[in-house]
Amino acid sequence: MTGLVRWSVALLALLALPWLAGDYWVSLVTQMFIFGLLALATDLLLGHAGLFSLCHAAFFSVAAYASAILQVRYGFGSLSGMACGVMLGTLLGSVFGLAVRTRGVYFILVTLAMGYVIWGVGYRWSALTGGDSGITNVPPLQVAGVTVESGRSLYYVIMAVMLVILVLYSRWIQSPFGLALRGIKSGEPRMQSLGFSPPRHLYLAFVLSSLLASLAGVLYVCFNKFVNPVSASLHVNVESVLMAIVGGSGTMLGPFLGAGLILGLRNWVSTFFELHLAVMGLVFIAVVIWAPGGVIGMWRRLDTSRRERP
Amino acid sequence: MSAALVLDQVTKRFGGLTAVNGVSLRVESGERRVMIGPNGAGKTSLFHCISGVLQSTSGRIECLGHDITHMPENQRTWLGMGRTFQISSVFADLTVLENIALARLGIQASKWSMWRSALNSSELRELAADHLEQVGLPGRESWQVKSMSYGERRQLELVLALVNQPRLLLLDEPCAGLSPAERQRLASIIRELPRSITMLMIEHDMDVALALADRVSVLHHGQLIVEGDASTVQRDPKVREVYFGQL
Repeated sequence: MTGLVRWSVALLALLALPWLAGDYWVSLVTQMFIFGLLALATDLLLGHAGLFSLCHAAFFSVAAYASAILQVRYGFGSLSGMACGVMLGTLLGSVFGLAVRTRGVYFILVTLAMGYVIWGVGYRWSALTGGDSGITNVPPLQVAGVTVESGRSLYYVIMAVMLVILVLYSRWIQSPFGLALRGIKSGEPRMQSLGFSPPRHLYLAFVLSSLLASLAGVLYVCFNKFVNPVSASLHVNVESVLMAIVGGSGTMLGPFLGAGLILGLRNWVSTFFELHLAVMGLVFIAVVIWAPGGVIGMWRRLDTSRRERP
Repeated sequence: MSAALVLDQVTKRFGGLTAVNGVSLRVESGERRVMIGPNGAGKTSLFHCISGVLQSTSGRIECLGHDITHMPENQRTWLGMGRTFQISSVFADLTVLENIALARLGIQASKWSMWRSALNSSELRELAADHLEQVGLPGRESWQVKSMSYGERRQLELVLALVNQPRLLLLDEPCAGLSPAERQRLASIIRELPRSITMLMIEHDMDVALALADRVSVLHHGQLIVEGDASTVQRDPKVREVYFGQL
């Protein structure tokens, strides 16, 4: 099958899904789009620039909270509330982006600390965030006067956003900017001697990825109709990295595949096993040891060996 | 003749260790200068000070008429400086064409572009084909660098330094780790480079060094001890003492 045919089949399958599958599957795939977008944001840094960030849940939750608070308490419309949420999340990303001055384990620790700050604010500043209970009763999404209330309609709206982002993302990673990020990952000192300024490229990548994470955050509120401090927790940070790695880090579809697998597995295991988080940990260990390229890496390896077979 | 590179009392200290000690040097435009000296003489530290990898502790460095003493490394490249490293530092995870595209983009404003494709340019492909042909790697554009031999990577490293037509080229042991045949080949490629490129080269292989050099500078314990043409340096008693001990 050529690439175009594969993409067309995948697109048709996604379009047909709400008519063929039940509410559970529609809801699961909608969540896959949202968390896949968050994983894609994390992977812009991890898979392309080699930076392991543990604070993307902060942008996700700040955007989600801002959008929810503005709509519930200040009467903002859906789109204006969401736009403000994305702007605030990205603004936070432009501040946290200063972390690109550090590298390796220091970068991980600095971003982890930044993530904790936001989680702490969400948890303790209850006058603003509603504390443990969070912000509830967010009104349904309204686009051009039309209320998007059913799960099926929301599925199509979120899918459309995801497709637009995928088109943009594919341009970014093939552009000189994307190539520069891969160059930095492969050999940062050499990039400097070729005339690049790696910290500036990494900073811009960080801000862009915070924008994607913020977008995922406002879509999450549209879908969930509420937000609480769990959205800013370390658990969400780690899970977004896990999704990218399980699906295939450094690829465009990997984070979405990983999101689908992790969410599906979690839902399934949690129905009969209380310690489902432990299972997630085991999955992570297994992937890192036996399939470091994730599902897409494994598929490519099988495809290559199949082609090489006489 | 104008100078492409002028060093005035350049010193580099690492704590209590003085790696480069008050080196003054003048390399004329179009000249091919080779720097020799035993291990630990401070050659690579001096190279790093010139290219901006390290900031000199004191002294002044002028390149192509500009004071670059405190200039960041990437801006020195924009001025027209190209360099290779002692240890091959091409991008092993990328293809040959992607390596060349990066080298080309480094001095262009389009390195910030997020919309156009980085590799879909006929100008880039022609440039890559010409340079790969020049160094004896024709048709390797789509090769993964990690699948190339060490010698081929050294040749690609030279392409990365040459692709922006530098006016001052710093070569740090370009023939290190190569077989005698590969060394001869790389030396002849370097010899055939146009005289519009001023060259400063560190080389341990004396045959290669003396065959390429217009002038030779000898460093020992961070200090410049002798400077002159190849035959003068070969006859100098201080150089013989450094290389062969007390005679």
